Amino acid sequence: MKVAIIGANGFIGSRLVEHFHLGGTHQVVPVVRKPASLALPARFAVEWRLGDALDQTSLAQALQGCEVVVHAAIGDPVQIERMPEVLCAACAVAGIKRVVYLSSASVHGQAIAPDTTEATPLHTKHSLEYNNAKVRAETSFFSECRKYQLEGYALRPGVVYGPRSRWIADLAAEFATDRAWLYDEGRGICNSIYVDNLVHAIERCVSATSGAGEPYLVGDAETVTWADFYTKSAELLGRAMEQVHRVNELPAFERTFRDKVENTVAQPWVQSLLPAVPFKLKRATKTLLASWNPPPPPEAWSLPGQPAPHITEEMALLQQCRWKFPHERAARTLGYAPPVSFEEAMRRSFAWYRFATEADVI
Amino acid sequence: MSQQFYLPTLRVLAQRNEVQVQALVDPAASARTPLAQAFPGAHQVESLAQVKATEGALAIIATPPRFHQPQTIECVERGWHVLCEKPMASTSNECAEMIAAAKKANRLLAVGLYKRFFPSSQYLKALISEGQLGTLRSFTVSEGGPFRWPAASPSFFNKTQTPGGVLLDVGVHVLDLLIWWLGEPETYRYSDDAMGGLETNSRLELNYHGGARGLVRLSRDWATTNQYRFVFDRGVVTWKVNDANGLTIQIAGTPTGLRSQLVTPLTPATPDSEIRPAPTNPQSFIHQLRSVVAAIRGEGTLLVDGEEGMRSLRFIETCYANRTLLPQPWFTPTEATRATQLAAS
Repeated sequence: MKVAIIGANGFIGSRLVEHFHLGGTHQVVPVVRKPASLALPARFAVEWRLGDALDQTSLAQALQGCEVVVHAAIGDPVQIERMPEVLCAACAVAGIKRVVYLSSASVHGQAIAPDTTEATPLHTKHSLEYNNAKVRAETSFFSECRKYQLEGYALRPGVVYGPRSRWIADLAAEFATDRAWLYDEGRGICNSIYVDNLVHAIERCVSATSGAGEPYLVGDAETVTWADFYTKSAELLGRAMEQVHRVNELPAFERTFRDKVENTVAQPWVQSLLPAVPFKLKRATKTLLASWNPPPPPEAWSLPGQPAPHITEEMALLQQCRWKFPHERAARTLGYAPPVSFEEAMRRSFAWYRFATEADVI
Repeated sequence: MSQQFYLPTLRVLAQRNEVQVQALVDPAASARTPLAQAFPGAHQVESLAQVKATEGALAIIATPPRFHQPQTIECVERGWHVLCEKPMASTSNECAEMIAAAKKANRLLAVGLYKRFFPSSQYLKALISEGQLGTLRSFTVSEGGPFRWPAASPSFFNKTQTPGGVLLDVGVHVLDLLIWWLGEPETYRYSDDAMGGLETNSRLELNYHGGARGLVRLSRDWATTNQYRFVFDRGVVTWKVNDANGLTIQIAGTPTGLRSQLVTPLTPATPDSEIRPAPTNPQSFIHQLRSVVAAIRGEGTLLVDGEEGMRSLRFIETCYANRTLLPQPWFTPTEATRATQLAAS
């Protein structure tokens, strides 16, 4: 089958290209927005194409002759919301019937409520705008699929890790700088999914004979806590778990004035009005916002502090999760059965990390 | 290259009346526009054949590598000296033809490997050849990051139009410096991740006469530390890629490292007020062009002539000829087998 992969240069897209091409299961057509993004797909003698996930005409041209499309492109919240409409319209023009769309488990938030399944109603009152954008995007995806009579499959993976993943590289950097941290001794549920397990789920969607029009939660077979994830990472990095900061109280993530303005600007109705705003006014506003929260001046009479954990709101929410979401629907309808164990997945992930940083650690 | 590097360089030297831009050549008017705005007196043409420059002028060739050989030969045969951007050509055979043509026409052929003009590169060369920190024992080079070069066209990633990946693109500078500093290795082992296309990760192990060992890792895939690290008998030196006038040095037996900015040479009588930073990265690029102009005027010799420019390319060709597949340990056994087949085909 000829499968186009939109976002083929990204972490998931590039692994998908590797797997499809080397596995010989499908003829893969990597689609990227600009020539500079061809570095990874061009390792193979494959028929890559240029197409903008935000431009229907260029995307439709890039998809010509393909039978299935996998959408793995990323973007900011505004772009995320816009992409499904462009994707489905382009598929309709190119005569493609089946589309696999990478949604996210974050449509349920990061600290997923107990008993959550695909049937749990979604909302757009998440504190992270990314989550709200993914909710709107997935809703739009199914709506557009119905409009163009496409067979749409949306996958909702949780924490996707593996080669080239920020979860691996960032954690290794945190260990290296003594900034790794765990909340509540790492009892939170990670809802991990190794990238090859996600690739397997995508393959199942590509070849499925039923189940279109539904979202599917997908994850690793095991229930992995954050303590499991960090302990295995420490072992494979040759680090000690004792160096991990134990955090018992999480900070409040109050929105600054600047955050609020940026969130407002990200809203679709504001974006639609922006072209009418004079460039000089936009530039002046950006300058004003940039100077709104200046960093404190350096204090000469001080000693360097101990490395402190950098606690982001996203990670704080993730580590509070107490629910391993099920993937029964994917198993039942798509035949999803994650082929790679957590143990093996972590071994491969950190083998990649050593591959990528070999000359930096000698 | 023309817009980001040569335009500001030529503007500086033109303001100082050290050069005069006579012609701008590109088949696409849009590509000529930024330079045409900077040099309104230069005539714009679509092909070299239309250029009416005086004999003894300098032609700067900053086109894709596959055009370097025919364009260089055409220029020297018309009586112009040439500064050709790196890589010097697509193959070392083409380089040899360019060198022969320049020699026959009695014209200079310089190659744009401007990192040799960095004060830090020259400092490292002195340390390696003069041995102030003792013998070099080992080194690592880690260079590259996700590919973001804005001017890249798809042809840059088409194996039929571009003969190599990251080793040719980034490695031509790295290997030029290593060969300049250390000479050619006695033995080497090269691997990369091309599997029918162009490599995005390269790995090169080098062993030198005298026992020095080196590891070079280049990537267009993942952010590297962009650092060179040299271990001598009596100290360690690190250099950040493209830091033209900075080095970090730890002399054996001293309690701390020194992060240093290179400055003008000190003499016993130099007052503080006269100590100036050594040239920066852009200033090194400007110095490259000035040195070529000086050589044309008979006021110096070329630092990187055609013979020098060809050395790194010739070595890269031998690497490609002896390449093996870089093991990618996250592949499944099936994928690894297929990858090996594709790499060998």
